[in-house]
Amino acid sequence: MQFLPGSLVLASIIATSTILAGASAATAQPTKAASGPVVPGFARFHADGKADLATGGRLLFGELHCARCHTDATSAKDIKSAPILDGIGSRVKHGYLEKFITDPHGAKSGTKMPNLLAGLDDAERKATATALTHFLASTGTPSQARPDRKGIAEGRDLYSKVGCVACHGTRDTKGDADKLFPTNVPLGDLKEKYSLVSLRSFLENPHDTRPSGRMPGLLTIKESNDVANYLLQGSVPGLSATNMKYSYYEGAFKNVPDFAKLKPVSMGETTDFDISVAKRGSDWAIKFDGYLKIEKDGKYTFSTTSDDGSILSIDGKVVVNNDGVHPPATKNGGVKLTKGMHKLTVGFFNGGGGVELKAEIEGGGLAKQNLGPFVYVTEKTEVPVATGDKKDAPFTVDAALAAKGKTLFGTIGCANCHQMGKEKMQLETLALDQLKGDGDGGCLSAKPKKGVPSFGFAANQVAALKAALAKPFPNPKDETPASLVKQRMTALNCYACHERDKVGGPEDDLNKFFLTVQPEMGDEGRLPPSLNGVGAKLNHAYLKKVVEQGSHDRPYMHTRMPKFANHAQSLVEAYMAIDTPEKAPKVALSETITKTKFAARHMVGPTAFGCTKCHTFAGQKAEGVQGIDLAILTQRLQHDWFYNYMLNPTKYRPGTRMPASFPDGKTLLTKVLDGKADTQIEAIWVYLADGKAATPPTGLDKKSIPLVPVAEAIIYRNFIKGVGNVNYSRAIGVGFPERAHYVFDANDITLAMIWQGAFMDAKRHWTDRGVGFEPPLGENIVQLPTGVSFYVLGSNDEAWTAKPAKDIGYKFLGYRLTDDSRPTFNYSFNGIKIEDTPNAVESKGSPTIVRTFTLSTENPIDKLYYRAAVGNKIEADAKAGWYRVNDMRIRIEAEGQPIIRQSGKGMELLVPIRFKGNTAKLVQEYAW
Amino acid sequence: MRYLLSLAVIVAAFLMSGSSADAQKKKAGEPKPTESEDTYYKLQTLPIPEGEVLEGGALEMLPDGKIAFGTRRGEIWIVENGLTDDPKNAKFTRFAHGMHEILGLAYNPKDGWLYVTQRCDVTRIKDSKGKGRADIFEVVTDGWEVNGDYHEYAFGSRFDKQGNIWITLCLTGSFNSNSKYRGWAGKVTPDGKWVPTTSGVRSPGGVGFNADDEVFYTDNQGPWNGTCGLKHLTVGGFVGHPGGFKWYDAPEAKYLGAAPLVPKTKSRIMTEAKRIPQFTPTAILFPYGKMGQSAAGIECDLSAGKFGPFEKQLFVGDQTHSTIMRVSLEKVNGRYQGACYPFRQGFSCGIVPARFAPDGSLFVGGTSRGWGSRGGKPFALERLVWTGKVPFEIHEMKAEPDGFTLTFTKPVDPKTAGDVASYKVETYTYIYQADYGSPEVDRTMPSIDKITVAPDNKSVRIQLSKLEEGHIHQLAAPGVRSEEGSQLLHNIAYYTLNYIPERK
Repeated sequence: MQFLPGSLVLASIIATSTILAGASAATAQPTKAASGPVVPGFARFHADGKADLATGGRLLFGELHCARCHTDATSAKDIKSAPILDGIGSRVKHGYLEKFITDPHGAKSGTKMPNLLAGLDDAERKATATALTHFLASTGTPSQARPDRKGIAEGRDLYSKVGCVACHGTRDTKGDADKLFPTNVPLGDLKEKYSLVSLRSFLENPHDTRPSGRMPGLLTIKESNDVANYLLQGSVPGLSATNMKYSYYEGAFKNVPDFAKLKPVSMGETTDFDISVAKRGSDWAIKFDGYLKIEKDGKYTFSTTSDDGSILSIDGKVVVNNDGVHPPATKNGGVKLTKGMHKLTVGFFNGGGGVELKAEIEGGGLAKQNLGPFVYVTEKTEVPVATGDKKDAPFTVDAALAAKGKTLFGTIGCANCHQMGKEKMQLETLALDQLKGDGDGGCLSAKPKKGVPSFGFAANQVAALKAALAKPFPNPKDETPASLVKQRMTALNCYACHERDKVGGPEDDLNKFFLTVQPEMGDEGRLPPSLNGVGAKLNHAYLKKVVEQGSHDRPYMHTRMPKFANHAQSLVEAYMAIDTPEKAPKVALSETITKTKFAARHMVGPTAFGCTKCHTFAGQKAEGVQGIDLAILTQRLQHDWFYNYMLNPTKYRPGTRMPASFPDGKTLLTKVLDGKADTQIEAIWVYLADGKAATPPTGLDKKSIPLVPVAEAIIYRNFIKGVGNVNYSRAIGVGFPERAHYVFDANDITLAMIWQGAFMDAKRHWTDRGVGFEPPLGENIVQLPTGVSFYVLGSNDEAWTAKPAKDIGYKFLGYRLTDDSRPTFNYSFNGIKIEDTPNAVESKGSPTIVRTFTLSTENPIDKLYYRAAVGNKIEADAKAGWYRVNDMRIRIEAEGQPIIRQSGKGMELLVPIRFKGNTAKLVQEYAW
Repeated sequence: MRYLLSLAVIVAAFLMSGSSADAQKKKAGEPKPTESEDTYYKLQTLPIPEGEVLEGGALEMLPDGKIAFGTRRGEIWIVENGLTDDPKNAKFTRFAHGMHEILGLAYNPKDGWLYVTQRCDVTRIKDSKGKGRADIFEVVTDGWEVNGDYHEYAFGSRFDKQGNIWITLCLTGSFNSNSKYRGWAGKVTPDGKWVPTTSGVRSPGGVGFNADDEVFYTDNQGPWNGTCGLKHLTVGGFVGHPGGFKWYDAPEAKYLGAAPLVPKTKSRIMTEAKRIPQFTPTAILFPYGKMGQSAAGIECDLSAGKFGPFEKQLFVGDQTHSTIMRVSLEKVNGRYQGACYPFRQGFSCGIVPARFAPDGSLFVGGTSRGWGSRGGKPFALERLVWTGKVPFEIHEMKAEPDGFTLTFTKPVDPKTAGDVASYKVETYTYIYQADYGSPEVDRTMPSIDKITVAPDNKSVRIQLSKLEEGHIHQLAAPGVRSEEGSQLLHNIAYYTLNYIPERK
């Protein structure tokens, strides 16, 4: 079988040419949609004319609500409904309403809404559209909300990852349409259509106004807000992006001051506790004031993380007291709040040093998250659509026009498809069995008569509809589960994401937008699962729940299963009816339930089958990939499917990375239970059936591995985190019994960081794959200057080099160890061999590091310097040989007299190297 | 669509393999396999000292029957008395610590140093004071770089006959090349020079030599690797993943000239090999899930019969399945290709290094940390010893212009061996693509036109209706019996037919 199917190539060529043909037609007739109304299932499976024409026609007939007008005794019940228009005025801007009614295909190419005014002359069309607009707009005015800048980025991320793209194509950084593939449902100009509030509400629960269920729900409340902010960015004029007031004060504060007694240096509005309004580095304070919007009564926990102190108050009461001078510290406080707006104040001050402020909220159904987006400048959070843009200007409903529109709504046919109050359908039409499909001036003709809806059909759609009408529609009662599965998956566009029976799955164009957080899981981690045999795999209740409520049980996959509410119920039942599981044998347990579970717990754990190596267990992380959680396994799967899957994973999930734990159907654990695969699989099922209540397998809770030097030094070569953004990928960590330790960086070829107390925790690197940089376990961490330690300076004011050691001829040669494993590092530079022995030494108070150098060379050179320290401030100490560098004291023992010099904004301590014969000696002590 | 078709192929494959198993079952009254792998190759587990965590990273043989065991935690342990019948005699002593994820050890008898490949360099170490612990650590080369990504592993070989150590460098995150020479292989010459030789490496699992001292490494399923494979490393070659092409401009690699053409995605290895002269097609593809899922250490049996009848064949570990696979290679059209066979399963955990001891026993080091494996032990040091009994096995599957020749370890029963119904042949290959992995695709089911059993009953010539260039030819021989009437211990072989031999 050849890999690239010719039919696919052909299909895409045909699809492309259809578009091109459509495009040229569109130029001549701007109101006509390029490809006709977009029905994804038709565009994908019927556009090439190869599939059964009548099936495609019946699909269109259903998806375009044809049966709302052309009723038929058998099909009337399960008819797709067009959007509910009750309260439409509070959801869609009036400008868009008018534009859309006047020319649906022009306003939104590919829309399924027919043009009901196509046959009217311009004046009549305008008058009709205006009247209808007044009628619809009389139901309300869209509210507007403050744009959430942070939401834009998150919304963009969500749109691109969770599944929106599969049905609606890609959108650019501004939220506008980017690539729209032939099977994608166009969104039209969202910025013209929606306000932030109305789009957010729609995304929260699309089924409220779209009862057909074609648009499934996918987003939480917060995510709906983010996506709405992304899609509508820049379209909310006249509204400030700020959400709180600030007052800025200066003074040498040791605590959050009593602001009432102070006069602010400046005041204004800002966003999300932004402390960059401060005008200097230290000795200042800010008070943030705003209103906190609480959606639900409940107990909330607030926290601040600040350096230095902060106090968070709600309704005048202190909730979080994180006051005082301190490095970054987090404090929490709880409070019961009722739904509504609450006065919020956060006071913060910075004495000196580091500066940081973060405020968070948790509770009332909210996961811990930034507090900023919940805060508003005033008590009023939502304001009517602002002025500034004519489209958004407040709309005055003319009662007479609205009344006229109300009449038209019924007579021209709007009410045939749309629910709107009690409006009744009044447009009379032919019944289904009277339709011939070839009537001149009918829906299918190129130019429908006055009063007949114009759908702007493409030629292939007309052909398909005609074919469908040429014979009687099948009675739904005669539908088999297999044909129902296909029909529903096509209509609901399940095929955009899922394959079943070799049909569907992500299209080539869209495949790359299905992403994973774990690329090494391959397609399995990226693409929604095949639905082959899904009715035999998943439990009925679970499958129903997933379809109705959506799910995200595969945390590694960005795409989520959206919720279809009750719209896919028949599909679930059909799956259950046709997918029959292979039977598993009845297995009797060989031991008591308690012993069986105990054995299974062992089997699932890392020292047996190692399921928890790749699967989370009740939320506890796995070592490598984070596969689907084991604690929900028995909720999800059917027992018999699980049995068969365990014996042969790739048979049921082709290409899975899940290794077969029972090669040739035999267990490798011959001593567990009765040593039989059947019993062991059954035992695992019984154990996992306890779900989250099951005692987790051992080894999940990774313990610290502190490295404690006792009698000798410990060397730890690994990825070690430095201070700030500095990391050492070629670190040689050395820990000493004296409890002073260091990192020697083999890239910079110098001592890089020193600290005291505990040495290192090896857990990060030694309990799983070893991802990331681990900081020292101890305290008083001091980062030493980055870059090489020895360099030749032409003159006293030549800057120290910033070049990497390797690039200026340094060579790291390795190290030798004393009997108690203390290293001496060897490296060379400029023909000089350098021996560098940093060693921990007991000292009064705290241990010091004493670094002894021996340099040897055949050709001693002048102007070689050692850079002993870099700091904001360096000065000689009263005690001879000692210097103060920031908070550290340094002792230098050398032939040459050390030089303190300015370097950029800071200072450097340089030691000229004086050779005696072929060698030079140098000692530096770090006391801190 | 692509995905669908592939699924279909796989589903079909399962249906087919299922029916062959059924056919097997139906033949009642036939002798069952009387013996297990254990009858022929005994597995010993060496007792790692209580409280120590020795996750297998590298193995090397030292003088006097001592074994050096390098670990992922950066230690090197010396094992004494490891070659006796009772593994309890083994004595473990820590020789060094504080190195970074050791994945290569090479002992140089000329200078007495132990050369250690760790993430960032090759360092040679020595016990200069005779205290049983290394006290000198000398950097031999640090010609490549690490950026702190855990996937940037460095695997090192032992010495080849010219005194080179061969290094394979995993890509950053196993996808990109963000540090110098990531996604390359190269050699460290006897004078300590780093010479990058070959681009195209993705995520290696081991590096070793065949009987002719040619260097091979294993690479793992992922982008540009439809499944795991054994690949031949040559100077100037390209082995599949174009991620590291930028380093052709780096000083050490300039001698190789311009980078090869970038392969086209969603192609086939042999299609691209014809287009890209530097591309060395994967010598052995290990069918994913069938032969393993993470190919690792490579060793060649040069024991002159001490390890049984497979002299000069390669033995390759698998980290997921905790197995040792067997490989036979031949040169066709100037390139290595050949077949792989199941050999021994049941190790305590995922295998990374493998090394033959002078007595012909095979040592393997195990680890399951971060990548789950069969066996259930977190780490292990194990030894596989031939019992002296010869298993009835397909000794070698060799390509012919119109089919294959199978040789066996024991004389066959000419009746069953000459019966078309005793065999089942199918072929398939993998998509060569930038996406992760591949399903089995392009399946064919050639028919067997003719079978000729050699007069000595030690080999069988199979002529097929059609050979497929670039495909794995999966040959099962469930019906073949030995002269004594026993079944094959493993009745399947997978030949990677990159090139079809020309008719002479």
